[in-house]
Amino acid sequence: MAWITKNSAGAHIERQSEPYLNDEMKQELTPVVDRYPRRQAASLPLLHAMQEKVGWLPPQAIEEIADFLEVPASEVMDTASFYEEFWLKPKGKYVIWLCQSISCEIMGEPSLTDRVAEFLDIQVGETTPDGKFTLMKVECLGYCGDAPCGLINEDIQQKITPDNFIEVLKNLD
Amino acid sequence: MALEQPVLTKRIPTEPWGRHEDRHYVDYNEYVKTGGYQALDKALQMDRTAVIDEIKAAEIRGRGGAGFPAGMKWSFLPPVDGGRRFLAINADESEPATFKDRLLIDYDPHQVVEGIAICMYACQLDTAYFYMRGEYHDQRAILERAFKEAYDNGIFGPNSRLGQINGRNPDLFLHRGAGAYVCGEETGLLNSLEGKRGWPRIKPPFPAVAGAFARPTIVNNVETLACVPHVMENGPDWFKTLGKGRPEGAPPHVPASFGTKLIGVSGPVVRPDVYEEHLGVKMSYCIEELAGGMLPGMEFKAAIPGGISMGVLTKDEYDAPLDFDIGKPYGILGLGTACITVIPEGYSMISCARNLARFYARESCGQCTPCREGTEWLYKILTRIEAGDGTTKDLDLLLEVASSMGIMPGTTICGLSDGANWAVRTIVNKFWDEFEAAVKKNRFVSLSVANNNN
Ligand SMILES: Cc1cc2nc3c(=O)[nH]c(=O)nc-3n(C[C@H](O)[C@H](O)[C@H](O)COP(=O)(O)O)c2cc1C
Ligand code: SF4
Ligand code: FES
Repeated sequence: MAWITKNSAGAHIERQSEPYLNDEMKQELTPVVDRYPRRQAASLPLLHAMQEKVGWLPPQAIEEIADFLEVPASEVMDTASFYEEFWLKPKGKYVIWLCQSISCEIMGEPSLTDRVAEFLDIQVGETTPDGKFTLMKVECLGYCGDAPCGLINEDIQQKITPDNFIEVLKNLD
Repeated sequence: MALEQPVLTKRIPTEPWGRHEDRHYVDYNEYVKTGGYQALDKALQMDRTAVIDEIKAAEIRGRGGAGFPAGMKWSFLPPVDGGRRFLAINADESEPATFKDRLLIDYDPHQVVEGIAICMYACQLDTAYFYMRGEYHDQRAILERAFKEAYDNGIFGPNSRLGQINGRNPDLFLHRGAGAYVCGEETGLLNSLEGKRGWPRIKPPFPAVAGAFARPTIVNNVETLACVPHVMENGPDWFKTLGKGRPEGAPPHVPASFGTKLIGVSGPVVRPDVYEEHLGVKMSYCIEELAGGMLPGMEFKAAIPGGISMGVLTKDEYDAPLDFDIGKPYGILGLGTACITVIPEGYSMISCARNLARFYARESCGQCTPCREGTEWLYKILTRIEAGDGTTKDLDLLLEVASSMGIMPGTTICGLSDGANWAVRTIVNKFWDEFEAAVKKNRFVSLSVANNNN
C-alpha cells in the first residue's frame, strides 16, 4: 500500500555534529583509497577502519564514507549490510563468535554453546543487558585442527573446553 | 610411497620431518638464507613467455578447489594494451574444515609472495591484491610485516626488481574480506574487491579477460602460488616426479595430478594438523600415519575429504587416493581443498548433513532461486528428519531438491550450490540405511513425543 507512509521509509537517523570520518581519519585513509583504480573499492577497508574506531557502523558514518568515496550512500549501505562482520547496530564490548561448522560440531560445539549461553543468560545473537557480551555462532574460522574454536573479538580461542572458556569470560573486564 | 622431502613445508616443521612446536615465522632474511627469492631472480632472467611455459609444462593445477591448470589460466590473458592488469590472491579460505592456506600465511608467507612476484612478472600484472578472509585477524599483522619486508627488499614498489609493469611500479596490497564464504568464489571475490557485495558474476567474461575493474585479472589460490617458486627453481620435470601423475593409459592432454598437496586433518584424531604429501596419497595414510590415528576409544565411521563441498567417503572407501581423479571412482565431486574431516562412529550422519545444509543456507548469496530456496529447504527437511518428524518421502524430496541445484544441472551462477548438492546427496545416498531408519522409526510422531520416548 504505497500511499501509506511507512516508518521504514523515513527511519530516524541519530546524528551528531562531529563527523565520524574526521579530517585526520581521511588523511590517514587516503593512501588506502589510492591503492585502487576506483574509490568505491576502498569501501571494505574504510568500513573496517570505522568499525574499529566506533565499535559499529552508525548510518551517519556510512553516509560520510559514501561522500568520501563519491558514491551514493545506498551503495555503501548495500555493501555494509552484506557482510557478516559489519555491525549496523551497536554490539557488546566482547563479541564471542563460536564456530558451528562440521569439525567443531563433531568436537563438541553444541554443548559448549549451551554452556556459554547459560552462563551469559542470553541466546545466540543477543547481547547481555549490561552491554558486555554478545554471543554469536559463525561458520568455519579456519582453525579446524584446533576444534572447537571461537573468537573473542579478534582473539582466536583454540581447543576450547567449556570450563576453561567460562573462566576466560569471567576474567574479562 | 611417502614423500621423501617436504616442498611447501620445507621451512615449516611438519610431521614426519619436524615438530609442530618448532614452527615460527620465517622472515625475509631467513627465507633468503634458505634459498628464497632465487626462483624469482631466475625467472627475471628469462623471457616472460618462457616463465609461463614452465608453469604450463609443470601442469600445476589450482589448489583452491577447482583444479584448473594455472599455466593455462595465465596464458588466457589478452595481449597487453598499456592498461592495468591485476592479480587477486584468493586467501578467503572459508570452506569448512579447510585450514591449509593459513599454514603458509602464518609461517612462510614469503614463499607465497615469491610466487606472486613471479606471476606478476610473467603475466605483466602491475597490482596484486591479497584477498584474505576478515576473520584471519592475527594473519593481518603477519602479512603486513611480510609485505613490508618485501617492499624494503626491492620486490615491490619504486625499487622493484621486477621493473615497471604496464608503466607502473608493481604493488602488493592486503584486502580484507568481512565474513562471507561466497567471496571465495573468484568473481564474488572480485566484486568484494571492488567494494560491492560479494555476488558472483555470470561467466563469461572470465576474469582473465574482464576481471577486477573490468580489466584482465588472474585469480589464484595461495597454495597454487606457493608451488610456483619451486617449479621455477627445480624445473617442471622435477615437479612431475611428485604426485600420482596422469591416470594410467591416459593421453598427455588429460589433466593430471602432479606435485605435493597440503592436507588438513581435523576431527577426533590424535594430531589434527596440516600435512604435506604426494597428490594421490591414500586417505587412510593421512589419518593413521600423519595424524596419528583416531583418538582412543573412537572409531572411524566416515570422512569428508575435500572441504565439505565434495561429498563423503565411507569406511569402505577409507583407502581412497587423494588426487584430482578421486571424483568418479568414489562418487564425489572432486578433490576440493583436500582437507579431511573425520567423522567418528556414534556421530549421526543426519546431524552431519543438517550441519552442512545449514552452512549453505546461511552462506548462499541469494541471487539464484534454486540456491537461495533449495539450500534453505535442505536445511529444513534435514532438521525435521533429525527431530524425528521425517517421512520416507522426505528422503526423495531431499535428493530431488539437492540434485536440481548447481552449475552442473545448469540452474545457478556459481558453484556454492553444487557444493550443497554434493554434500547432502552423497551423505543421503551412501548412508541410506541410517536415513531410512530415522524416518521409519518416528514417522509422524511429533518432536516432543519423540523426545519423551527416548
Ligand atoms: C562457493 C565457492 C567458494 C570458494 N572458496 C574458495 C576459497 O576460499 N579459496 C580459494 O582459493 N578458492 C575458492 N573457490 C574457488 C575459486 O572460485 C577459484 O576456482 C580459485 O580461487 C582459483 O584459484 P586456483 O586455480 O589457484 O585454485 C571457491 C569456489 C566457490 C564456488
Ligand atoms: S549459486 Fe548460490 S551463492 Fe552462487 S551466485 Fe547463485 S545464489 Fe549466489
Ligand atoms: S570447522 Fe570450526 S574452525 Fe573450521
